[in-house]
Amino acid sequence: MIVIFFILPLALLLASLSVFGFLWATRKGQYDDLDTPPLRLLIDEEYVEKPDKNKNSQIN
Amino acid sequence: MTKAVSTNPCAHCGLPAPRRADDAPAFCCVGCQAVYHAIHEGGLQNFYEFRGLGARGEAPRGVERAAESFAYLDDPAFLESQSEAMPDGTRRVQLHLEGVHCAGCVWLTEKMPTVLDGVRDARLSLARARLEVSWDPERVTLSQAARWLARFGYMPHPLSAERLNGAGQAERALLKRVGVSWAISGNIMIMAVAGYGGLNMLSDPGLAGLMRGASLLLATISMAYGGGVFFRRAWASLRAPRVSGDEASARVSRWTHLSMDVPIALGLGVGWLHSAYATLTGVGDVWFDSLAVLIAALLTARWLQMRGQRFAAEATERLLSLLPSTARRINPDGRIEEILAATLKPGDRVEVRAGDVVPADGIVESGASTLHRAIVTGESRPEPIGPGERIEAGVTNLGAILAVRVEAAGDDTHVGRLMRWVEDGERRRAPVVQLADTLGGIFVLVVLAAAAITGGVWALIAPQAAIAHVVALLVISCPCALGMATPLALTVAVGRAARQGIFIKHDDVLQSLSRATHILFDKTGTLTEGRMTVAECIGDSNAAFDAAALELHSTHPIGRALVAWAHKNAPVWPPEQPAESVEEHLGAGITGQIPNPDAHREVAVGRLDWLAGRGEGEQALAYWRQVEAQFARAGGSPVFVAINGRIACALSMGDRIRPDTLALLQQLRQNGLHIGVLSGDHPELVAQCAASLDVDTALTRGGVSPEDKRDFIMTLRAHRPDAVIIMVGDGVNDAIAMQQADVGIAVFDGAQAALVAADIFVTREGLAPIGLLFDGTNHVMRTIHRNLAGSAVYNALGISAAALGFVTPLVAAVAMPFSSLFVIASSLMQRSFEPTEPGERN
Repeated sequence: MIVIFFILPLALLLASLSVFGFLWATRKGQYDDLDTPPLRLLIDEEYVEKPDKNKNSQIN
Repeated sequence: MTKAVSTNPCAHCGLPAPRRADDAPAFCCVGCQAVYHAIHEGGLQNFYEFRGLGARGEAPRGVERAAESFAYLDDPAFLESQSEAMPDGTRRVQLHLEGVHCAGCVWLTEKMPTVLDGVRDARLSLARARLEVSWDPERVTLSQAARWLARFGYMPHPLSAERLNGAGQAERALLKRVGVSWAISGNIMIMAVAGYGGLNMLSDPGLAGLMRGASLLLATISMAYGGGVFFRRAWASLRAPRVSGDEASARVSRWTHLSMDVPIALGLGVGWLHSAYATLTGVGDVWFDSLAVLIAALLTARWLQMRGQRFAAEATERLLSLLPSTARRINPDGRIEEILAATLKPGDRVEVRAGDVVPADGIVESGASTLHRAIVTGESRPEPIGPGERIEAGVTNLGAILAVRVEAAGDDTHVGRLMRWVEDGERRRAPVVQLADTLGGIFVLVVLAAAAITGGVWALIAPQAAIAHVVALLVISCPCALGMATPLALTVAVGRAARQGIFIKHDDVLQSLSRATHILFDKTGTLTEGRMTVAECIGDSNAAFDAAALELHSTHPIGRALVAWAHKNAPVWPPEQPAESVEEHLGAGITGQIPNPDAHREVAVGRLDWLAGRGEGEQALAYWRQVEAQFARAGGSPVFVAINGRIACALSMGDRIRPDTLALLQQLRQNGLHIGVLSGDHPELVAQCAASLDVDTALTRGGVSPEDKRDFIMTLRAHRPDAVIIMVGDGVNDAIAMQQADVGIAVFDGAQAALVAADIFVTREGLAPIGLLFDGTNHVMRTIHRNLAGSAVYNALGISAAALGFVTPLVAAVAMPFSSLFVIASSLMQRSFEPTEPGERN
């Protein structure tokens, strides 16, 4: 049972990673529109190249 | 009417289209042909691969206004206020697109950057019909992008983004709290299972201590991050109990005004303190799992509610964006420029085309036309207007082009002043004390009393167990189910109502709706259709069809009504011989001839006096005079048709009562409501309408101004303090009355002020949705009562058990989710706003 002393903090660490993932996704607006992206998936051709990659300011 | 011609599917939309001899693509209409060619010229044929995938909402309408220039989108003032400058020099704007529908639309609109040089990015949110465009103002103008979209039939409308973005940010912040709270409660629950499984401080102090310590850490984060919301609001409610109207606060004592957040915060605080103490000292039970789940569940309910309200706010914004906000200014050099109506200045000259809404108050300089003023004044009949006469913003020009000199624009117009009053005015209405809030206040008192008694009694019997039992009581009596009962039921109902085209902006009005005692309707456009139709035809109906053939050349509302009527009733339509040498006589009538070798007909349509003055129909003039008087008494406008100099037929034109009005009033009467009509239309017409609908004359007023309507409601309330008044309308003239009433409802096609003032608005034509609204409200209230009763029973049992000392952590862990699940299931299974006609929806 002594292993739990090691595993429990590890599990909490992993959980906190996924929580940060969730916070990041929410901040990026990933949950704002749940209808359109599944349709974009159907369009199998090359998508429009984004001219600049440094557009990381908030969408809105 | 439809002829049996062999058909092909239209190459663009797939509707039946006439077959063509060659193999060229067939089209059902010019609009489809234009869009098809626009797509092919742009090399965008792949659109047809994706069209129809994931279709939702209404199918797009035809391309009607593709010729617009959208010059106002390049106005610097517009760009400054409605678009956002990005650090790299591009700008970003949100547009509402009409007619986006499926994956094909997503593909086509997002192709814009590859086609239009200078457009950086285009992203469509299909469900919200919102396109986000970023572009480089140096290389392309927004109006070019808008024209590109309009060519495919996606009419773009700018959205004022500020209000919505605020809501979006708050929603995201709450979603973060919800997610974190659930993650924490999941982890705490896993650790708590070990405790329920037998791990305790006696059997294995090291491991149990670790579990408790970790739970304490997680629960503290959850309390601070997720639960902070409740502590702040509970504190605010303790410090300043909601100040409500004088009468209401006199009736209800200050204590029942404590918000639901107080018992929640109290339960959380006490539970956490006790568990933290138990963890640190190693003595006693911990309740961290219950606390964490409670926080997560309550935040979820709150988030759902916020989402529902955002949905309604977006729908309002969408409708507002469809209203025209541009004006066609005539520059001194005679050139016409399309600008934002808000940028007009007194002294400017504007052109108002037929069918346009007048953008500003002013004086007509040239041109003569007829106006439809119903949305501003309630007047149902079109009124003629000529040079030198006053014209108000918001009325619709029906006839011919007018040139107007602007006297007041924007906020200074009559409509603008009303709008400002509606937007700024605090809600001068009796406050609604939410049932759940009242119960919540009582609940706190009961729980505190029960806790005090339990503590006192147990202190006498077994002092060492007293604190544990009090804490058990406070936690198990947690208002989890009680707190979620109302918001969950309301949120589910509001979401379903929106799918039926009923948008509820503030869900607290549903409670007022269920207690409504009086309902007041506007007449023109609400009870009636708000446009001219043929009510009655006396005489030879073939003559009337000949008249309609002449009216095909006219834009006058009476002419259009006659054409619509002939389209429905004539055996042959369109007519075999088109009318010739048609001449309109302004304010009098129309003349022309139908060339037919067998029966050549000279036709004149117009007022009886005018026809008589031309020497027509002298024989039976006395008879037709009688008919004229009869029509006028019934509230119609009489129109006569003379064929070859003899009057052959008389038509009564009027604003017809909507087909579903009678059924709705019947239903409302059965619900025990008093019905009234308030209208700006002529008192006689209003009285006739009220009489034909069997409406109480004591609650009916005609010829009233917007302020009179508001005063009527205030007087009614003064006489009957317990009256709950609902105002249903569509126009600017109803807006302030809607705000004064307990609930304001705007019907289909309402004016801007009406949409802003209304608590509820309907996007489906007709009055049937209002009946549905009342039915749905009754179901929601029943669901809320069921939820509250269920959670009250749970709490009664829980508190009794805790007071007797039967509650262990295990019991609490089983009981709490059960009560919440009951509330969730009951809310989801409610029968409100179920579609009545399944075939109607797609």
